[in-house]
Amino acid sequence: MTSPQDSKENASRPAIIRFDHAWFGFPGVVALEDISLSIHAGEFIGVIGPNGSGKTTLCRAVLGLLSPLKGQLHIFDCACEELRCHHRAQIGYLPQKGVVDRDFPVTVLETVMMGRYGALGLFRRPGPEDRRIALESLALVAMERYRDVALGSLSGGQQQRVFIARALAQQPKVLLLDEPTTGLDLPMQHNVLDLIQHLHKTLRLTVLLITHDINMIRSRVDRLVLLKTRLYAQGPPADVLKPDILEQVYGRGLIFSDRDLVFVEDYHHSH
Amino acid sequence: MIPAMLDLFAYDFMQRSLLAAAIVGALCSLMGVFVVLRGLAFVGAGTSHAAFAGVALGYLVGWPPLLLAIVFGIATVWITGWLEERGRMKLDVSIGILYTTTMALAIVFIGLMKTYNPEVYGYLFGSVLSVTGEEVLLIGGLAVLELGLLALFWKELLFIAFDQEMAEASGVPARGIFFLLLTLIALTVVVALKTVGAILVFAMILIPASTAYQLTHSLTTLTLYSVIIGTTTAVTGVIVSTVWDIPSGPSIVLLATAVFFLSLLISPKRLKQPLGSRHP
Repeated sequence: MTSPQDSKENASRPAIIRFDHAWFGFPGVVALEDISLSIHAGEFIGVIGPNGSGKTTLCRAVLGLLSPLKGQLHIFDCACEELRCHHRAQIGYLPQKGVVDRDFPVTVLETVMMGRYGALGLFRRPGPEDRRIALESLALVAMERYRDVALGSLSGGQQQRVFIARALAQQPKVLLLDEPTTGLDLPMQHNVLDLIQHLHKTLRLTVLLITHDINMIRSRVDRLVLLKTRLYAQGPPADVLKPDILEQVYGRGLIFSDRDLVFVEDYHHSH
Repeated sequence: MIPAMLDLFAYDFMQRSLLAAAIVGALCSLMGVFVVLRGLAFVGAGTSHAAFAGVALGYLVGWPPLLLAIVFGIATVWITGWLEERGRMKLDVSIGILYTTTMALAIVFIGLMKTYNPEVYGYLFGSVLSVTGEEVLLIGGLAVLELGLLALFWKELLFIAFDQEMAEASGVPARGIFFLLLTLIALTVVVALKTVGAILVFAMILIPASTAYQLTHSLTTLTLYSVIIGTTTAVTGVIVSTVWDIPSGPSIVLLATAVFFLSLLISPKRLKQPLGSRHP
């Protein structure tokens, strides 16, 4: 988590991602409605909400894979409909576990090298400079010694580190992480979040972290964004994690406070 | 027996057949790597039947059969890809419908022919031994075109096979590359149609890559193994079919299948990993 001084500085910077009364969805289904949200350079933002609240839709919108039905979305001062490949390469993305076939026959280094492909463009082959960037990215996540190991032979936490390195190899301005700790044991969850926090600080990356796990991130983020189809609250964790606000999203009777921890009985939390 | 086999290699038809089989075996097994990794097995099976409908129409109206095979094959994969992309229909459902529809069309076209045409059935069951010099040139030309496209877009094809959405999010023009992959599959099917026939052509794409998949965790090694297995089984299959006087297409496919089952027996992936053997 950045200091209050840093947070003020971040907020004063121009927004690099700006939702302006944006609606998203598919024919006949509205997944997100009337979202107004500005993300500033250097911020660490956590996006929380129950299952089906539109977290992944928000993620796809930031990636430029969804255009708003109504309203506007600007990414790097560019309307998302006009987003070009080189803009997309500036957002490093870690997908949810299970989306990617992690037994795909590639080595760790080959996986990380894929992070260079978007920035390279068509017809250009990766060269020594791309390899150097990929190896540096692996070093940042402390996985360089596994570079020639098959991706499928790694543990879940190590695979997450490799995918974070792949995102870093894009040399992104924004790191977008969709449920990065799902399926990991508790020590590994802390391990991955510590790494993300470290990268945010050392590389001054803007981080947008989508998660169901409020307690794991509340002390790490500058701002929380609470979603349930629409944006219910945004601000410092202490301002968002209030019983009256959470009740609106998770329902009455489902919130228990004990030593400042928030327990929410939804699908992810009941395990 | 060996001198008799060596005599066979002196014949022009045998040299043409072996060359066609080698080209087709190598190309199919190379494309098979992307088909297996991207999970497009059924697409290829459907495309081969669509391409056969094109061949049948070509013979019916007197147009170049392979040209119409290309048109039918590409149209089928593009419609399938478009339906999946729009989220209208799952890939296996749309290809299942087009697969049977184009096969029905092929039967109608054959039924409309006034006389029995053995060449049409050559494309259905495969007849590599009757491949002509012009056909070898055409197969070679298409193969060079495909290899060029594969070399140009290798890294993008690899990325969309790994994860298309991640590729798109990373700035790769993933949709265009996916349609290029579908087009290359259709072209590969057409290239191989005369050699093993519409019914068996997809085995040549699917089996070598699936066999190689059992044997390695490395993509480079998988590609290399797939091409070696595909080329070797295709050439050996033609020789076996000539020596034992059995149809060439089934000979190639049965040989490739035998190698596949052998790979299952010796696959390091099938050997149970003891607990804790994964990297910590």
